[in-house]
Amino acid sequence: MSAAEARTGRSPYQRLLGRLPTVVWLTVMWALLWGDFSPGTLLAGVGVASLCYAAAKLPHLPVRLGFRPWYALRLGARIGWDLLWSSVQVAFHVLWRPGRVRGAIVAVPMRTDSDLLLAMVSGGLSLVTGSLVIELNREEGVIYVHGIPIDSPRGAQSLRRRIRRTEELIVRAFGTAKDVTGFEAAEEEFAALLRSAEAGTEENGEMQRP
Amino acid sequence: MTATDWITAVLLPLGALFALVGTIGLVRLPTLLGRLHAAAKPDTVGLILILIGVAFQLPDISVATPLLLVVLFQFTTIPVLAQTLGRVAYSRGESSSEHMVVDELAEAVRHAKGGDQDGRQDRSPGD
Repeated sequence: MSAAEARTGRSPYQRLLGRLPTVVWLTVMWALLWGDFSPGTLLAGVGVASLCYAAAKLPHLPVRLGFRPWYALRLGARIGWDLLWSSVQVAFHVLWRPGRVRGAIVAVPMRTDSDLLLAMVSGGLSLVTGSLVIELNREEGVIYVHGIPIDSPRGAQSLRRRIRRTEELIVRAFGTAKDVTGFEAAEEEFAALLRSAEAGTEENGEMQRP
Repeated sequence: MTATDWITAVLLPLGALFALVGTIGLVRLPTLLGRLHAAAKPDTVGLILILIGVAFQLPDISVATPLLLVVLFQFTTIPVLAQTLGRVAYSRGESSSEHMVVDELAEAVRHAKGGDQDGRQDRSPGD
């Protein structure tokens, strides 16, 4: 048993297997950039990829993700639409009275606890115009997003809704079964919290999600 | 002109228009965070439109795969850039509150600094 094996509890074979997807990905990149898939190019690609991997000493990340095509498709459509629509919106405000454009920073509690999924959510949100992740409180699972253009509390509420919808789609598209059940449990808890808050204060009922 | 030529003729100027608007926004928007929005994202849309327009002029679909890579890397790098800049800008106090409807991050920071009775303070002393 080698030292590395004692540290991670995995055999050299498993360690190699865990690195294989990255090497394959780098090789495909190499072949794409050269524009041909001949055996010589592929061989050179594998060589360069392995060398890069060894030189960079990349850590092995335990990637635990699921994949549900239907939700992934919906996610792609949503992000594409958000990107286009909010670009048009920002474009309009840039040309028409840019001095009066206002934004907002909203705090949205996340319902998933997976590092990878949270990274995906914040990346996906920052990609879309009109939302920009400023801060992520990992311990409490709260994400702070700057949105533009927002000129009323109602607008902030709709930004919040959009963030929560994006989160749900990402969890359902790429989360493992465990992630999804965790998400649904948190959702249930959140809904119960909202109901009790609603029972306390009647007037802000229109702000809540149905 | 063929149909593909028409598609290119529509998409290229449209993409250029998005890029132009993004740049105008960089100059005209009042806040740094707003400028960040305008600089990063309409440019992405513009770039994608231009690349789709270009792809229709290529003789072979296999030549278009590098264009797909360009989009992929744009998609993965833009959020990182925007997020890093946004965070730095905010933590240095470069966001003006008069252009903000609500700022729940400032509230949270105030809460953590002032009302330290609820046990949030001891978890992040360096903040």
